[in-house]
Amino acid sequence: MSDLDNAIAQLRACRPIPEAQVRELCHKARELLIEEGNVVTVNAPVTICGDIHGQFHDLMELFRVGGDVPDTNYLFMGDFVDRGFYSLESFLLLLCLKVRYPDRMTLIRGNHESRQITTVYGFYDECLRKYGSANVWRYCCDVFDYLALGAIVLGASNTLSPNSEAGSAAREVEEDTEIEVCNADGDIMSQFSRLEGGASRLLDPVGSAMRPSATATNGIGGAADSSRNSGLGGAGAPSRTGPPGSGASGSSGGTVGNPAGAVLCVHGGLSPLIDTVDKIRLLDRKQEVPHEGAMCDLLWSDPDEIDGWGLSPRGAGFLFGADIVKVFNHRNDLSLIARAHQLVMEGFKEMFDASIVTVWSAPNYCYRCGNVAALLELSEDSSGLGILSRTNGDVNRSDGGVGGPRGVLMENDLAGLRSGPARRYRVFQAAPQDSRGMPAKKPVADYFL
Amino acid sequence: MSAPSIPNLFGTPSRGSSTRGDRGGSSLGGLGLGLGRGRGRTRVRGGAGAGAGSGSGSTSAQAHDATIQGTDTDAAVSRLSAVEVGYLDDPFARLFVQGPAGRRLPIINRGTYTRTTAINQIVDRFLAQTASGDDDNGSPQTRQIVSLGAGTDTRSLRLFSSSTSNSRIAYHEIDFPAITDRKQRIVRASPQLRSILSDPVSAEGGTGTTWRSQARNDCELFCHGLDLRALAQQPADGQDSTSSPGVVLKGLRTDVPTLLISECCLCYLDAADASAVIRWFESRIPDLGVVIYEPVKPDDPFGRMMVSNLAARQIHMPTLDVYRLPADQERRLAEAGFGQVRHMTIDKIWGRWVLHEEKARLDRLEGLDEVEEWDLLAGHYIVAWAWRSDKFQLPDDS
Repeated sequence: MSDLDNAIAQLRACRPIPEAQVRELCHKARELLIEEGNVVTVNAPVTICGDIHGQFHDLMELFRVGGDVPDTNYLFMGDFVDRGFYSLESFLLLLCLKVRYPDRMTLIRGNHESRQITTVYGFYDECLRKYGSANVWRYCCDVFDYLALGAIVLGASNTLSPNSEAGSAAREVEEDTEIEVCNADGDIMSQFSRLEGGASRLLDPVGSAMRPSATATNGIGGAADSSRNSGLGGAGAPSRTGPPGSGASGSSGGTVGNPAGAVLCVHGGLSPLIDTVDKIRLLDRKQEVPHEGAMCDLLWSDPDEIDGWGLSPRGAGFLFGADIVKVFNHRNDLSLIARAHQLVMEGFKEMFDASIVTVWSAPNYCYRCGNVAALLELSEDSSGLGILSRTNGDVNRSDGGVGGPRGVLMENDLAGLRSGPARRYRVFQAAPQDSRGMPAKKPVADYFL
Repeated sequence: MSAPSIPNLFGTPSRGSSTRGDRGGSSLGGLGLGLGRGRGRTRVRGGAGAGAGSGSGSTSAQAHDATIQGTDTDAAVSRLSAVEVGYLDDPFARLFVQGPAGRRLPIINRGTYTRTTAINQIVDRFLAQTASGDDDNGSPQTRQIVSLGAGTDTRSLRLFSSSTSNSRIAYHEIDFPAITDRKQRIVRASPQLRSILSDPVSAEGGTGTTWRSQARNDCELFCHGLDLRALAQQPADGQDSTSSPGVVLKGLRTDVPTLLISECCLCYLDAADASAVIRWFESRIPDLGVVIYEPVKPDDPFGRMMVSNLAARQIHMPTLDVYRLPADQERRLAEAGFGQVRHMTIDKIWGRWVLHEEKARLDRLEGLDEVEEWDLLAGHYIVAWAWRSDKFQLPDDS
């Protein structure tokens, strides 16, 4: 067993590795990351994850639900550290897996992968507490500076692959299924059809299996319940076409069987300074997250029900509306933006006619919020039309390898933006703290008393 | 818009090897965990065992009382954190926390700020509306504030030392004897407080132990060491009270405008007891207002987790079982006999009562990357207020 495998085994047991080993690991990781472009190209199939925030046991639960590395190809959209008890173990494990299986593990940077933020929100203190000095924190921060800013997923399919987790026999997925929501055991909780007029089916409302989801059945239902969400008004009545509220409906122009457009993954969102994916590639990312500018915006911004751009309540980044997303997706031939950054009680939330989705992977966030978490699986397109090799840092790849520049809004584009890839969300809850053979350190959350 | 609002801790001297000492409690507090105050709570618990054991109650009930008294330490540490970061201006917060202050997360600091200023605004309205009144004899009117479970709260001290002339305020604080005794010791020992308050003296003849102290402008502080449930055992005034002698709060008047404050206090009583405590005042004082700050909404995922997490700390809030929604709080006060009832959750108060410039100032103090969490947490606390008087009105917006 190599040192690296030993380190992985030790970290999987939630035990920190020695400082010297951290140093070596961070050095290797940096050598690897420095070769990656600002926007990493990832081929489907891939499992996309949102914030982790040092909730180590929930990360283990995520691997249980989503499959282990390297069997599953993972893309983590940042915010590995801060807030939870085990930022150190969580981040180092992910980093070990990145070094061990570089093509099966993609890590991009979140706004918490920053020196300043980690001094406020816990990672710095945790390193001091566990090592007695700030050295390990410094090594990790040096790695943060080399993390990619985003990823482009190519070759995602319009149809879902069979749900390997569901029962003993691989179950056939209907071709027109656009969205499938599963619980942690792989049981399908709801499905939404792509074809116009195709009835969606609510198979097993989340409520029965997922205790915390009291109001909404899942992120789609939740979106429908939310007055903030646009789309079909028929809240809670998924009887028409696509998921209510998500608007991923039969109006989409996709043809079943063709590869979907590319999916941009970024921690926060868009920036008024960035109108093409290629402009992200041109940034100088190897630095602390700045307080403003394009790099800051990508890590801090949020979609919101506004027109155009707005000021962010976070004090960094911007709010951006549906029009911004749709223009950006069209210009860059994207079918979807996947991002994290915002707590979603139902684990995921599609917005703006399914042109952008928030994925949140920290269940019961901060041991306080009572939310469920989700991960997003994109299947591999097997039609042969979307095969692309993994490359790093190429300019002019933002067209997804499909065609030339698309600067003009064509007449037939008005009928609908590119059809989104078929999406399988796996929703899971917080891992029981005591059953992991860990010291049962019951976290205590703060309230006003 | 962005740069200044993220705190640059690199520039502060507390960074580096000294951080451990300077922000001792914060290493855990920084994780959103409330372990930093364990030291303080243990101490209070030790002192409370004697004080709370006033005759009745099982060991577990006493332990619960001690835990509840510990929440006062929690609040004092939160207050000091908000003061040291710059949210609140309170020169007295430091006096009631022993040892280094644990720095709380921005979301907690903002919440502490919002609940404090919300109640301050209601208190200020009450004081402004009763400032010029005369009593029936034509002499200037005394105003009364009664703070239930006041603990180490500093509101009275801030009123007494405020540059605005707050005159003729009788401020009554009621808490467990262990808490009021400690407050008296702090008042006696602190030169800063002795410049505001006269020597505390015992006031005989009341129920429990009461000490009183004079402040300038005819203001006076009464601290009643008393288990609130004693009030609940009493029938309302005017009803049959032949069997028991009745609780007497020394110095409390029934003929002047009075504002009753419960800042996370009545929620620890059984709902019936909490109602009886309000009724005790309501039945005796014609011109009465009330402000209640409590958690709400135990039934959504966040609320369920809140109840579960607090239970793990042995903290139970019986009124939360009964007044589950904001509308329940409103009905509670209406049924208690108040004609005018208003309520607002803390997130709405932040949105509506905190002025734009003030928000900008607070945002500069430290970044708040917990936007969704703030909406959740602040949406689960409510300020409900009500009044019944032709001498004053409380804020009308909600």
